[in-house]
Amino acid sequence: MKKVLEGSQAVAEAVRLAKVSVISAYPITPQTHIVEFLSEYCSDGRLSARFLRVESEHSALAALIGAASSGVRTFTATSSQGLALMHELLHWTSGARLPVVMVEVNRALAPGWNIWTDQTDSLAQRDTGWIQLYCENSQETLDTTLQAFRLAELVNLPVMVVLDAFYLSHTYEPVDVPEQELVDRFLPPYDPKFQVDTKDPCAFGSLVLPNAYMEMRHNIAMAMEEVLSQFPEIEEEFAGIFGRRYGSVEPIACDDAEIILITSGTVTSTSRQVIQDLRARGEKVGLLKVKLFRPFPSEMFRRILGPAKKVAVIDRNFSFGASGIFAQEVRAALCNLPSHPPIFGYIAGIGGRDVTTDILEDIYWQTKKNEVPGKESIWMGLQEVDHATESF
Amino acid sequence: MTEKKKIIEAIPLLVPHSYLTTESNKTGSWRFLKPRYEEKTSPCSTACPAGEDIGRIEMLTTRGLFKEAWETILRENPFPGACGRVCYHPCEKTCNREEFDKAVAIHSIERFLADNAIRNNLNPLLERNPAREQKIAVIGAGPSGLAAAYFLTLLGYTCDVFEAMPEPGGILRWGIPLYRLPPSVLQNEIARIEDHGVRIHTGKQISQRFLEDTRNNYNAIFLGCGHSRAARLNIPGEDIDGVEDGLKFLLSIRQNKNPSSNGTVAVIGGGNTAVDVARSIVRLGGKALIIYRRRRQDMPAFEQDVRMALEEGVEIKELLTPAKIIYDNKELVLTLRQMKVVGEDIRGRALVEPDGKNPDEIRVERIFKAIGEETAEPWHSPPEEGEGILSMNNSVLAYRHRGPALVFGGDLTNQTKSVVHAVASGKEAAIALDIFFREGFDAIGPTLKTCMVGNGTSPLSMEIYMGGARRSRSPHIVTYEEINTDYFQLTAKVSQPRLLIEERLRTFEEVDLKISAHLATREAGRCFNCGLCIQCENCFIFCPDMAVIRDNSSQGRHINYDYCKGCGVCVVECPRNAMVLEEESYEESSGGKSGSS
Amino acid sequence: MQLKVSEREYMYPGHVACPGCGAAIAMRLFMKVMGEKTIIVLPACCWSIIAGAYPQSTLQVPVIHSAFETGGAVASGVRAALDVKGDTETTVVTWAGDGGTFDIGFQALSGAVERNEDFIYVCYDNEAYMNTGIQRSSSTPYGAWTTTTPGREWKKMRKKNIVEALVAHRIPYAATANIAFPEDMMRKVQKAKEIKGARFLHIFASCPTGWRIPSEISVKIARMAVQTNIFPLYEVEGGVKYTINYTPKEYPVKEYFKLQGRFRHLIDSDLAQIQEMVNEDWELLLRKAGEHS
Repeated sequence: MKKVLEGSQAVAEAVRLAKVSVISAYPITPQTHIVEFLSEYCSDGRLSARFLRVESEHSALAALIGAASSGVRTFTATSSQGLALMHELLHWTSGARLPVVMVEVNRALAPGWNIWTDQTDSLAQRDTGWIQLYCENSQETLDTTLQAFRLAELVNLPVMVVLDAFYLSHTYEPVDVPEQELVDRFLPPYDPKFQVDTKDPCAFGSLVLPNAYMEMRHNIAMAMEEVLSQFPEIEEEFAGIFGRRYGSVEPIACDDAEIILITSGTVTSTSRQVIQDLRARGEKVGLLKVKLFRPFPSEMFRRILGPAKKVAVIDRNFSFGASGIFAQEVRAALCNLPSHPPIFGYIAGIGGRDVTTDILEDIYWQTKKNEVPGKESIWMGLQEVDHATESF
Repeated sequence: MTEKKKIIEAIPLLVPHSYLTTESNKTGSWRFLKPRYEEKTSPCSTACPAGEDIGRIEMLTTRGLFKEAWETILRENPFPGACGRVCYHPCEKTCNREEFDKAVAIHSIERFLADNAIRNNLNPLLERNPAREQKIAVIGAGPSGLAAAYFLTLLGYTCDVFEAMPEPGGILRWGIPLYRLPPSVLQNEIARIEDHGVRIHTGKQISQRFLEDTRNNYNAIFLGCGHSRAARLNIPGEDIDGVEDGLKFLLSIRQNKNPSSNGTVAVIGGGNTAVDVARSIVRLGGKALIIYRRRRQDMPAFEQDVRMALEEGVEIKELLTPAKIIYDNKELVLTLRQMKVVGEDIRGRALVEPDGKNPDEIRVERIFKAIGEETAEPWHSPPEEGEGILSMNNSVLAYRHRGPALVFGGDLTNQTKSVVHAVASGKEAAIALDIFFREGFDAIGPTLKTCMVGNGTSPLSMEIYMGGARRSRSPHIVTYEEINTDYFQLTAKVSQPRLLIEERLRTFEEVDLKISAHLATREAGRCFNCGLCIQCENCFIFCPDMAVIRDNSSQGRHINYDYCKGCGVCVVECPRNAMVLEEESYEESSGGKSGSS
Repeated sequence: MQLKVSEREYMYPGHVACPGCGAAIAMRLFMKVMGEKTIIVLPACCWSIIAGAYPQSTLQVPVIHSAFETGGAVASGVRAALDVKGDTETTVVTWAGDGGTFDIGFQALSGAVERNEDFIYVCYDNEAYMNTGIQRSSSTPYGAWTTTTPGREWKKMRKKNIVEALVAHRIPYAATANIAFPEDMMRKVQKAKEIKGARFLHIFASCPTGWRIPSEISVKIARMAVQTNIFPLYEVEGGVKYTINYTPKEYPVKEYFKLQGRFRHLIDSDLAQIQEMVNEDWELLLRKAGEHS
C-alpha cells in the first residue's frame, strides 16, 4: 500500500514486516526516528520483538551478537560516532558469522560535531566483513532492508543498509509498503544454521590458533564472494514478487558514454538530472550508481567502465593520506585491465554540504577538459580560508 | 529446504565452535609434585600402651557407629569398660587438640562405647586366625593373664587360665575399689573373653612344679601372677595388731567383709593402692591420712585419683617417712621422720633424705602399708638376661630346650603398673608366642618391630600383626602443625558428671557418671583424627582439575594422574594430614616425564 | 565440614588452568549448582583460555565467547532471544574476570543491572588482569605489586567496591563468595538461581601465579582473606538488606600478606595502615548490616 512516509519510518516498516525478534539500539541523530518508530511498534504490538534499551552502541551490537547466537532475527541502527564505537564488534559479528542487519545513516564524524550526511563513517568500516548496500531513496531503503535479512541469513554475514542523513532519514516520500503475506513469501522465518542449545552444548568463538584461523577467514572471504552471485538472485526473486529491482550497480546511459560519473546515495538522484541535461546538450555522458559496495562488484565495473574514455568518481567521503574511497576501489578494480580509462576523483558534499547540479556539471566539464587527472583528488567547492582571521 | 541445502553445500560454514572436549590434554605431564593418599599415625595411638586406634575409634563414634568403634577397641584391648574408667589415659596427654582448645576426653568415649555395648548386649565380630595346635597355660586371671589368653585365642590358640582366687579378675576385682570399677562391667568383659573360647579355672593355685610338668602338653605358659605380697616397712612395730596390708584391706572390702572404720587412719605410701585405701576409708566413715616420703607431685598414683581423694577429704602429708610404731591406749602411735628434697632424678622425681629435725608423732586408729608389692613367690620373677631370654617392652620370654616356653608379663615385668600396660603385656606375649611357634625364637624381635604403631619404642597393634588395614599406615606421627585447624571450631570439652562429694562419702557407688550418646558423639567429633581419612572429601571438593574420582575402593576415591597437575591443594586442605605431596619421579616411565599413573 | 557435593561434573579435565587455579575451582563448584540448563557468556579473561582452544571445550554447557567489555550486554541479548523463543528454564550467566567487570566491562554491567536484565553475572576476582600478564585492575588491592604497579609504584589506591556500586543500582541480589567457603558459595549460587532479575556474585578466586604463592595454599589464602576481614562474606538483597555471613575471630592482616610474594615489599607501617583501612571498612559494613562491633 502506498503511503507517504519518513525514510526512518520506511526502515521501521521493513523491520516490522521482517518480524525481527530482538532489536537493540542506542539513539544518535539522525537515526533516532528509526529507534523511536520501532519502540512505538513494539509498544503497541505491531511488532512483537524484545527491544533492548542498551546504554551504548557498543552494547547494542554486543546484545545482538548474543541474541543472534541464540538463534533469533536481529536488527539495529546507528550512525557516525555510534558506528565508530561499534567498530570492534563489527569485526566480531562477521567473524562469528551472525546474520545481523543494521541500518546505517551516513553522518559525518566528529570533531567538530556534524550531524549531516557524509559517507566516511560507513566506508571506514569497509574492512569489517559486513555486506554494504547504499540506498538512493526511501522505497529502495525499505526493499533493501527486507532483502538484507534474506541475504544475511543465506551467507551468514551481517548486512549494513546505508542511508544519507536527513535526505533519506528525515524526508517524506511516497513508499509502497508491501503486504505482510507477500513479505512472508519472500522472507521465511529465520532458520539458524547454528545457535546455542543446552541440549547440544558447544562453545562459540574460542581461542583459534594459527593452524585454523586462516581457513576461517578464507571461509568468510568465500562467503563474501558468494554474495556477488546470490544478491542478484535475491533481487530477481524480489522483483518477481514485488515488481521492483535495483541491481548491484545501475548503469544509466553508459553504453556509449565517453565519460562516466560514478555516484552513490542521494547524490545519484541529483546526478540523474544532470546526466539528462548534459545528454540533451549532446554530451556523451553516463552515470553509474553504486549500490553494492561490499563485496565490491569489480567485474561489473570492469565491464561497464572498460570501454569508456574517462571515469569521474564522486566521493562524499575521504580516506586521509589516500583519496576518496569509491575512487580507490574503482581504480583497484580496473588496474589490471590492459587498457582502461583514467579515473578522476572528486570530493564533494563533505559534512553535509550540498552537492548541487552546478557542482556536478563542473565535475563533468573538468573531467572533459583534462586528459589525465591533475591531482589524486579534487575537492569541489572549497572556500578560501583567511587563517589570520579564520574567516571563510 | 533443498534449495537451502544446495546453498549450504555451496557455502559451507567454518566458524570457531567446539566439537571436542579437553580430555585429550593429559595435563598430568605438568606435574613435578605428586599427591598421594597416605594415612599416618596419631600421637594418641602411640601413647596408648595398648596401641588402640584412637583416631578411628572417634571417627566411628562420631558417625554413630558405636558397635564398630567398640570393635576397633577390642582389636587391641579387651577391657574398654575397665580402662575407660581406671586408665590414667596417657593418650590424652599427647592429644594434638590440646594445643587448639582442650584434649579430647578419650577415656569418656571409651567408657561410653563399652557401656553401650553392655547395655545393648552387643556381640563383637573380630578377625581370628585359623585354629592352631599349640596350647597355652596362663597363670593368673588378672588383666595381663586374661589379655594374653584373649589375644592368643584370636590368634587361634587354646588357652587355659588358672586363677587361685574364687573369681577371675585379679587386681580388677580385688584391688580396684567399686567406686572406680563396678563389678557388672568387669563381669561382662570377662564373660566376653570366655565367649571367645578362653577357659578360666578358678580356685586353682599353681605351684612351681607346674612349670616343669610336661604331662599337660602346654607349649607355653604365661605368668601373670602379679605382685600380691605387700612390701615391708622394715620398722619396729610393723607387726603390731592394727598395722595392716593395704591391698588385703581392699580385698576384704570386695569379699564383702566390710569392716567399718571410724577415726583417723594412716595410709603409708603414694601409689594407687594407697590412694584407693584412703578413699575407701573415707567411704567407710573414717578419716584418711596419706603419709608419703616424697612430694605430692612425685606420687606414682594417677593424678586424677589423687585429686579426687583430696576432694573427698583425704589429707596428704608429704615428705614424711615412718620410723616407728607403738601401741598405746587403744591407739597406734606413728613416729614420722621429716624428709627434705636434695635434688631430682632423671625422671624428675625428688631425691630425699632425712631432715634431721625431731620426728613427729601422730595417733591413729589403724595403719595401712601400701608402699609397693612384690612377687608372692620367687619363681614369679622373670629371669635376667641370658641365653634364650628375650626382654621385650612389656614382657620377658624365656625359651628352654625342655618344657614349655615361659612368658612373664603384667606387673611382673612392667615398670608402670597399670591395667593398660597389663593388656600390652598380654598382647606382646601372645604375638611373641605366635612368632615363636611359627618362625622360631630369633624371629621374635625383628617381627615385633613390624607391628608397632608409629616409630621408636611404640606399642604393638594386633590389627597390624594380623595384616589389617592399619598395616598400610605410615609410621609418621602427626604433629599439631600438620593439622589444618581452619576446619575446626573451638568447642568445649565434654564434662563428665560426677557424684557430688557428699554423695561419694556415703557410698561405694561409681563416682564418674555416664554420658549420653549425644555428648559422646559430640566429644568424639572434637577429635582431629590425626592422619586418618574420614571421607570429608575436601580433596574432591577443591580439586580444580576434576582429578579426584570417587570410586568403590576402601579409600573411597583415587587420583587420576593423567590430569593431576600436582598443585597440592588437596594435601593442604586435608585437615588431618592423610595425604602426602612428594616429588614426582621421572625415572618411572621410560624416557621423559611420567604422566600417567 | 561434611559438605555433600554432587558427583556430576560439568567440566572436563585436561583444561589448561594453572595448577591450583582458584578460577577453575570457582567454575567447577558454580556449575554443580547451575546444572545443564545454563548458557555462559564468557568475555575475555583467563577463562577464555581455560575454556579450551578450538575445537575443544572444557564446559558441558553452551558458551558464547565475547569481547572483553561486553559481558553484560551480550547476556542481555541472549536473554532477550530466549524470552522470544519462550525458553523459561535456561539461565543466562556472564562469567567474567575482574577486568571485564570492574573496568572495561563496567559500563555494560551497569547498563544490564540498571535494566534489571534477568541473568546472573559472576565475577571471579583474582585481583589483576591475569590473563594478559598480571597487570593492575581497579580490583587490585591496596599494597599489591603488579607488572604495571611495580617497585615503588605499588598500588596505592583502594580496591574498588564493586558490590557497593551495584547495590547502588538496587540490584535484586548481590553477594560476595569465596572458593574456600564452598558451602556458603554454593548456597548463594542456588539462591541466585532461584531469583529473577539481575544477580551478581563476586567470587574471590586466588591466583598462585599472579599472587606469587605456592599453588598448594591457593585455597588456604582465599580462606585467610575472609578470616582477616579483607574480603568479608556478605549478601545484599534488594539493594538495601545486608546480611553478613561470617564473622571471623581476630586475625591480623599481616598474616595474610606475609604469605604472598605480591606483598613482599610492604613494611610494618604499610601493614599497620592497611589494618586500619580494613578495620574501617569492616565497621562500615557492620553498620550497614545493622550490627555493631
